[in-house]
Amino acid sequence: MVEAQEDFVQKRETIIIKGNEAAAYAAKSARVQVISAYPITPQTTVVEKLSEFVDNGEMPGTQYIKVESEHSVFASVIGASKAGTRTFTATSGQGIFYAHEMIHWAAGARLPIVVAIASRGPAPPWNIWADFTDVLSQRDTGWMSAFCATHQEIYDEILMSYKVCEDHDILLPKFVAYGGFILSHTSKPVIIEDQDLVDSFLPSLPSEEGWPHIWMDPKRPMMFGNLIMPSSFYLEFRLKIQNAFIRVKEKIKKVTKEFEKIFGRNYGNGLVQEYKMNNVDVGVIIYGDLALQMEQAVDELRDQGYKVGMVKLRHFRPFPTEDIIEVAKKVKLLGVIDRATAFGSQTGGPVSCEVKTALHETQETAKVLPIINGLGGREVTLEQQKNQLKALIKFNETGEIPKDTIHGTLWDGLLEVE
Amino acid sequence: MPLLDILHSIEINKSKLNKLSDNEKIVEISMHCRGGQTCITASQLLAEMAYEEDFRDTIAIPIIGAERRGAPVQAFTKISKSKAIKTYDSVINPDYMLMFDTSLLDIPTIKATIKEGVNLIINSPNPIDISSLPNNIKIFIVDATGICIKHNFMHASGPILNIPMLGAFGKISGYFNLETMEKVIKKEFGESRLEKNMSVAKDAYESVREI
Repeated sequence: MVEAQEDFVQKRETIIIKGNEAAAYAAKSARVQVISAYPITPQTTVVEKLSEFVDNGEMPGTQYIKVESEHSVFASVIGASKAGTRTFTATSGQGIFYAHEMIHWAAGARLPIVVAIASRGPAPPWNIWADFTDVLSQRDTGWMSAFCATHQEIYDEILMSYKVCEDHDILLPKFVAYGGFILSHTSKPVIIEDQDLVDSFLPSLPSEEGWPHIWMDPKRPMMFGNLIMPSSFYLEFRLKIQNAFIRVKEKIKKVTKEFEKIFGRNYGNGLVQEYKMNNVDVGVIIYGDLALQMEQAVDELRDQGYKVGMVKLRHFRPFPTEDIIEVAKKVKLLGVIDRATAFGSQTGGPVSCEVKTALHETQETAKVLPIINGLGGREVTLEQQKNQLKALIKFNETGEIPKDTIHGTLWDGLLEVE
Repeated sequence: MPLLDILHSIEINKSKLNKLSDNEKIVEISMHCRGGQTCITASQLLAEMAYEEDFRDTIAIPIIGAERRGAPVQAFTKISKSKAIKTYDSVINPDYMLMFDTSLLDIPTIKATIKEGVNLIINSPNPIDISSLPNNIKIFIVDATGICIKHNFMHASGPILNIPMLGAFGKISGYFNLETMEKVIKKEFGESRLEKNMSVAKDAYESVREI
């Protein structure tokens, strides 16, 4: 371990940094105790920046572990978390898939691990650019998942996540995802908060005793990960996870409010963030980096007199069913924009499927048009997003189905092939 | 509103935008270099230098793939004094273009973004043939490569062009001066090569000229 130069001395400052660096600063601000690292594009600079912090003695006491694969990354943070420490790592795409076994394990063991994901498209064909299929394909593992639209949101969401995950009523792991390269490698001004203020917001680090349900202590021997017979409590453990996911919605809302009170930045109710959703005919649900750019598309069409609005989906798990039902009451037509795929599902898009499921028992709700765009980092321009809104307006007014609607889903931005 | 009317109103908005002063609009800069000529770092440094000069929102957008030394690379920076920057997309209507390598002017996709009103800063010791470029553009040249060689400002595969190109940009745009450059370079790279960095920046700042 590196000898501490100084205690965590971060002062409030605004610096122009990449999204990946914002994630690293958040881990530092959260005083994480164990970081496990294996490089993968586009995540690599997260763990590079953290290794710099540790090497410079800016994170006294933090253990930085280099391992040989993502499977071991997750295995080692699971071990560290079981021993009662605040843990962090980051990965992308194929790295998540390789760690999939351990990802289930972390949730089953109810370990509050927070992992940053610089999302990239699954191979083949080999792809390293923004596509949320990697994190969304972990849908049923028991991990929470959040999307970030800005560099600042990466920093903020990681802080909020520790507060939510480590709550003793919750104890669940969480992915904090943002688009590879689009956020991970672009730079914007980010406010890094004063260490004292972050300390006052976050729960204190776990005590020597560890978490309330799991620990590693020779004086209190405990067996974990053992075989459990079908007649024993497996079914009940699974129900407990689902119950925690029900409870966590309120917790996320509460933490988001507290965050705003202390740091002054608003993220809607934490689960969703509405933008110009009053007096609207047509709205879109969108997540990740494209949500920020869509705000401008909405602004520009509003200036031209169109009644359009948008909802930024901030969490995929837990899925904000109640909020989506309310949003759908406000509009006649709802576009749901995925930068990810769920092959063989009703719409082909993971979030549009969830939205349809959420609305299926609701009377007199909006019509849904699923949209898929930007796969594998295909650029989605502001102009394209404005055209998406215009296509929705036209569809709403005239019933004209947008071009490139295939099996009921609009695949926007396809290359022209002769 | 019929689609044609929408398109028409967008055109009007665009022409309005062009008349806005630098204080009100988002200034967009595109940079083109070959792998190793350091335009990715330039986009980051430009964002930081502009931020020091009251551009309250900035974004550096490097287009990163699997480029190797010598392959065409592009990077963009958007800077704004009063408007929040909400877009992550590529710059296709730049206010300024920084051309690190004259051979890139022949690439059709790059050439297509050289449009009316653009300020084009080219790394070249001599005036270039501009007959094939649009009329209403301003062209500036700076011998960035020559300056780097003169000061032995090199990395393993060639001259470090980002500092002289930014020096030229600072002068032409008036957005930042050598003092601001020094502050940012010191923050990013420390004291050890500061003097050399600044000699290079100063030479470019003073020698860039319009053709």
